[in-house]
This record gives sequence, structure tokens and C-alpha cells, in this order.
Amino acid sequence: MMLLHDFYQFAIAPFQEFAFMRRALVATLALALSSAPLGVMLTLRRMSLFGEALSHAVLPGVAAGFIFFGLSLPALSIGGFLAGVIVVALAGWISRHTELKEDASLAAVYVVALALGVIMISGHGTQLDLLHILFGNVLGVDTEGLLLVAGVSSLSVLLMAGLYRGLLLESFDPSYLAASGGRNTIYQQLFLMLVVLNLVASFQTLGTLMAVGLMMLPAVSARLWHDTLPAQLVNSTVQAAAAGYAGLMLSYYASVPSGPVIIVCAGGFYFLSLIFAPRGWLPRMLRRPHLRA
Amino acid sequence: MSVAISLENLTVTYRRHPALHHVSGHFAQGSLTAIVGPNGAGKSTLLKSIMGLVRCNSGRVVKHAAASRIAYLPQQAEIDRSFPISVLDCVLLGYWSKAGLFRRMSRDMVRRAEDSLAAVGLDGFAQRSIASLSVGQFQRVLFARILLQDAELILLDEPFSAIDTKTTNDLLHIIKSWHAEQRTVIAVLHDYDQVRRAFPQSLLLARNVVAWGETEAVLCHENLHRARSMAEAVDEHAPLCAVDAADVVDVAHAHGEGAAR
Amino acid sequence: MKLFRHIVLGAAVLLTHLSSASAADAKLPVVASFSILGDIVANVGGDRIAVTTLVGPDQDAHVFQPAPDHIKSVARAKLVVINGLGFEGWMERVVQSANYRGDIVVASNGIAVRDRVSDEHDAHDGHEGHDHHHGKNDPHAWQNPANIVVYTRNIVAALSKLDPAGASVYQNNGDTYIAKLNELDRWATQQFAQFPDAKRKVITSHDAFEYFGAHYQVKFLAPQGVSTDSEPSAKEVANLIRQIRKEKIRAVFIENMSSPKLLQQISKEAGVSLGGKLYADALSQADGPAPTYLKLMRYNIEQLLAQMKLN
Repeated sequence: MMLLHDFYQFAIAPFQEFAFMRRALVATLALALSSAPLGVMLTLRRMSLFGEALSHAVLPGVAAGFIFFGLSLPALSIGGFLAGVIVVALAGWISRHTELKEDASLAAVYVVALALGVIMISGHGTQLDLLHILFGNVLGVDTEGLLLVAGVSSLSVLLMAGLYRGLLLESFDPSYLAASGGRNTIYQQLFLMLVVLNLVASFQTLGTLMAVGLMMLPAVSARLWHDTLPAQLVNSTVQAAAAGYAGLMLSYYASVPSGPVIIVCAGGFYFLSLIFAPRGWLPRMLRRPHLRA
Repeated sequence: MSVAISLENLTVTYRRHPALHHVSGHFAQGSLTAIVGPNGAGKSTLLKSIMGLVRCNSGRVVKHAAASRIAYLPQQAEIDRSFPISVLDCVLLGYWSKAGLFRRMSRDMVRRAEDSLAAVGLDGFAQRSIASLSVGQFQRVLFARILLQDAELILLDEPFSAIDTKTTNDLLHIIKSWHAEQRTVIAVLHDYDQVRRAFPQSLLLARNVVAWGETEAVLCHENLHRARSMAEAVDEHAPLCAVDAADVVDVAHAHGEGAAR
Repeated sequence: MKLFRHIVLGAAVLLTHLSSASAADAKLPVVASFSILGDIVANVGGDRIAVTTLVGPDQDAHVFQPAPDHIKSVARAKLVVINGLGFEGWMERVVQSANYRGDIVVASNGIAVRDRVSDEHDAHDGHEGHDHHHGKNDPHAWQNPANIVVYTRNIVAALSKLDPAGASVYQNNGDTYIAKLNELDRWATQQFAQFPDAKRKVITSHDAFEYFGAHYQVKFLAPQGVSTDSEPSAKEVANLIRQIRKEKIRAVFIENMSSPKLLQQISKEAGVSLGGKLYADALSQADGPAPTYLKLMRYNIEQLLAQMKLN
């Protein structure tokens, strides 16, 4: 009984005592719930570096928000979101109307967006690091941030569940979807907008490292465990949530910066998966007698 | 005789060189047609322009079937076989036109999917992932999907490339049963013997229509020779195409006579 | 009579011409590294110099990116004044690019240097070309007016050496300014004296106030390190909240450049009120509350006093 009580103290106490820990945990779990599945879809579509690119592509929108509305966080984040949407839509349009694939056109467009953003900021005469101001930190999540992440997460989960078949089909066999009269563009664009929405909300509440890291790392790791999509979606969410909890605990007890250590935990799970998962290294190394044919 | 697809002076170009040009004619409802021709003759392109996946430079395609009643099997290379989906789920996608996003897969539908799998010889494969299948097995899965679609018009692009004889024969059998069910089937094929054996109608393409009609008549020596003399490579210094409107009408007229039987 | 008048007129014209010619001698171009220094230099140099400041009001010297205009100003300058103590890591690059061969005055020469406070710090993430060195020294010496007296004397010496003709002007200006500084210092000490030690505690997100704190015996507690972008751990935040609750501090300030979100959360959770902005590293714009050094110090101190009353 004592042991259980001690364990409870260890595992739950930080969240009981401090509101910022509670908020950090809830925000991380909300992020895990929606971003990890989106990450799985992104890797299936060979767009694993999308999040990275987007964290830079939002700059002109943030700059515009700052120029017209000053240091107002809602203006900055809406500006960033619009910039992300425009970049993604533009890259998509280019890939549909030319021979260029999605990743190539995105690579081109986001770099131009970033450069535009830098010019806009320096032209306006300030040297403020706008992105630093916009991008948040998991320990600093306030009520608005929590509502934002929770809202975006719920919306994403609902949309993904509702559009699941269409999204799957569009990723797996787009010509079949087109042939059946489906509107491929809508699924593709809607999916990407969801990714942009999740990322921008996460950048703002939790910072880029956590936003991109929790989206992609558990997703990649989950693919080592299962060969069906639903299982991968669930696995990635569980890994992301576990990494979030473990990271916050480490940050609390071992005094390490929280965002990075959460990602390190996710990385740890990935490393373990590389070794122990069914598609990993160890099962391949163990020579078990084969079954009858 | 009703028409399933009409082609009217269809031209598809790639950087001004024609992949297909001045193709006219129609596929009759319930016909079983093989599209043949040398490499680069525009066979896949023709199927793609019928499906609207490729833009035509001039002319048009008129389909007399609703999109939900058309099944199209592209060349296999275009599908991502490492996608994490089970055989059964892949076949169940055949219900997409009917079920859309929200309709649940009823037990009945699942049973029919399993029946299709059995019909293509993949009994017991339902829970396997498609990544674990061989090329021939995956092709059968795609056929099973089409079975489920219950389509009026079926277009197959090189359905038998890189598959063993047994599978090929099994699938030919299925195609025959489709024909018997009055569905319109069009297939791009390479094996002329196969075509002669199993396909009553043929369209011989060499960027434009060489011959179109009963297989016997189309695949005669003279036509095959004419088709072969089509250059495979693109002529960088080709002059403007000089096909006459009258010529186009002639070809269509010849085809119309042949199909009337 | 007529001749005499002509001579006088001619002499007057000549004299005017001559004096305007010497007045047309360009003012001495001096470059100061950042806004606070620029103000001090302007006060000492007066009309004899033209000051250009590189890092302007409300700008962050930590993320400063030199532009061609800055390099041009340095190239044209006869004197460059920097704070030193590792504050302007980018200055060497600028001086090199501008091919500047003149004197560089380190204004902080001669003060009692403090060590930087935090040990764990400085997770710099992704500032391209971010260029300041973090040595052992805490560069924020200007927050103690007694240090600015030393700054002033150093600047007087440098300007006098460069422009001996104006030495007396510089000396006078310097003395006047030092008098004002001393008055400020007296007033501040008096004000703080009304609070017992236990109440002289403040939280701010910028570790720029160590010199100030040491001089006036005010304890500054901070959740983050000296630069604007280090990342705290949950344990540090938890400890800070516990400490605030235990020591019953009510005064919390946000430095005018770093992200305020983390600080807001800490203050809410610890039951602490948020004070206004404190100006740590730069003057405000001309229409703001801290457009000169003296006004900046007065403003900061008034803000601190107001919050300390609540402690």
C-alpha cells in the first residue's frame, strides 16, 4: 500500500501542485491526439519535412500581422495561419498544373515566403525576432492557448474521423478516387489545411520543436509496429502522449528544458522501436524456425 | 445498338508532338475490345483521356455511363504498394461510389467482398497486408475490387503485364464473365494471340487509328505492318500534321460498318 | 568717414564669412553601439558632435543584424563608443567591414565588473547569424547610475583626446551630467530606503538588473537567463513559484522584449500581480516613457516602487 501511495505521489503530485504542469500536460495530450495521426498521413504521402518548411513559411504572415496590428498575438497567429494556408495552396496548385511534384513546389514556395518575411520585417525598421515572440513554450501555456490547442485538436479529430475514407483513398490510390468522380483536390487541400492549422496552433502554444517533433517522430516510429493504418494512427497517438508525460516528468524532476526533453523521449521510443518492433532490427536478427508451407 | 463511349477527332499532345491524334469512333455498349499497337502508340493515353486524367488538345470524349458506374484499372506501378492497408479493406474500397464517406460496411457487403476475393482465387487473404503480396496477387486484389464496383464500363490498362499464365487465365475468365453480363470492357494488351483468342473486337493504334473492328479483320498482316512502321521515337523536326478532316471521317465510317454486325 | 565705414563693413563681412566657414566645420561624427550609450554620448558631446546609434530604441542588441547603413556610419565615424563586457559581439565584424581605424572607447572601463548570474542557460535555437558572446561578465553595468558616472568620465576623456579644442566643453557637459546622475542616485536611494529588506524583492524575466540590484539592495529573481531566449525546465519554474509563495513577493515585471507568456503564467499561478514594462537594454521611442537615460532610470524606479508597495 505504501508503495502504491509513493508511486502516486511521484506520478501525479507535480500536476496536483502546479497549474502550469496541468496545463502543459493537457496541451501536450491534445496536441498528441490530433497531430500524431496527421503525422502518420504526412509520412505516407512522403511529406515528412512539411512541418519544418511550414515553420518558416509562416513568417510573412506574422510580419504582416505585426505591421498592421502591432504586437497583438491574435493578429500574429492569424497572419501566420493565413500565410501557411496560402503557401500550401500555392504549392498544391503548382503541383497540379505542372510536372512538379508536391515536395518540389513546396520547397520553392516556402523559401520565397521566408525571404519575403525577412524583407518585410527589416523594411519596417524593427529588429524584433517576431517568430520568437509568436512561438511559445509548453510551460507557458495560458488559458487561451489551452483553448486554442484543445479546440483545434477536437476539430481535427472530428474531421479526420469523418473524412477518413476519402483521405485514405486520396493518399493510397488517387486515380481511383478521381475515376469515381471524387474531388481529389478537396481532400488533399483540406488535409493540408488541417496540418497547417494544427502546426500553427502548436507553434504558438508549444513552440516549433514540440509541434513538429510530436507530429512526426511518433508517426515514423509507429510504422515499425503495424501494417494497417488504423493501428498506426492509434500507436502514434499513444507514443506521443507517453512522450509528453514522460518528458514533463523528466523536466520536473531532473530539471531539463521541457520541450526538448519531450522530443528526446519520443526519440527514445523511436530508438526502442527500431530495435524491438516487429519491423525492427531484433526480430530480423533472431532466426526462428520457419512455419510449414 | 447503343454507344458506351464516343471519340470525336481526339488529339492528345505532349509538347506539340502527338501522343494520339485524330482518333474518332465509338465503343458499343456491351462490347469487349482490346486496344493493341506498338510501344508508344498511345494506348494508355487513350484510356487516360477517356477517364479525363489527361487533357486533350482538341476533339472530345463522350461517355454514356455515369462516373460511379465506370471502373478503371491503371498500370500497377502507379499505386503505392507499401501503403498500410489490408487486402479486405482494399477490396472494400470498391464500394466507394455507393457508400461514400459515411455509410457503414454492412455484413452483407463484407461477405460479398470476401466472395470476390474467392472468385479471383485469393480465399483466405482478407487480413494480409497488400505489401506482403506478389505482383500477381495484388493484381487479383484490384480485380476483386472491380468486381465489387458492379461497373457498366470497365477499362483495364495492361492488366496482365508481369503476371504468370495461371493468373492471367483466371483473370481472362473473369473478363469473359463480365462480357456475358453485358458490361462494356476495354483492355490494353500486348499479346496478340491472347487478343485473338479472347477479344472479339480490337482497336489497332499507332498514334492514330490504323484499324478498328472485328479482331480477325483488324489484326491482319497488312494492318500490323502499317502499325509497325510507325516510328516509336518522336521526330524533332516533324512538320505540321496534315491529316485531312475527310480522312478522319473515312476511318470512322469504316469502323461503323465493321461494328454494325 | 566713408573709408572708415567701408573698412568696418568689409571687416564685418569678412568676419562673418570666416566664422560661418568654421561653423561649417562638420560636427564630429561619433557612433555609439546602442541607444542608452548614444544618449550619454550626446549629453557629453553636445553640439560639437553628431551621434549615430546602431541599435536603436526598443531594439534588441542580442539579435542585432548589422545592415549596410550601419557599416557606413561606422566607416565615417571619428570615434566609436561601445559598452564592452561582451555586450556587442557583432561590433568586431562591423568595424572590420567598415575598415574603421579610429579609436574604440569601452565606456565600461574602470567599473567593478560583476559575473553573470545563471549557470544553466543559453539554449539558442535557430537564430541565423546570432552573434553575441556569452563570457563570464554581466554587461548590464549601465543599470547602476554610479557606473554611468564612470562611463561619462571615460567619454569625456575620449572626446577631449580626439578634439582638444572642445575639451572644456566636454568637461563642463560631463560635470553637469554627473551632477544630474548623482541627484538621481540620491533620490533613488532615499526612495528605496522606505522599504525593509524583506520587501525589496522583484521578479523580472530579464537578468539585466544585477548591477542595479547590488547597488540599491533589491533582489531580482528571474525565471530565465540573461539572453532573451533560453528555455527553463519545469523544475525551475516550479521552484520559482514555490519561492514566490514562500517569500510572498508581489512585484512581477516583464522586460520589454522577451516573450511574456511564461511570465504571465507564473505570476497568475503564484498569485502575483504584473507590473508594467521595465526598460533593461534600450531606451524607448521619443514619445515613450524612457527616451533618455535619466528618464529611463526614473521610470523604472517608479515602477519598481509602485509594485514593492504591494509586497
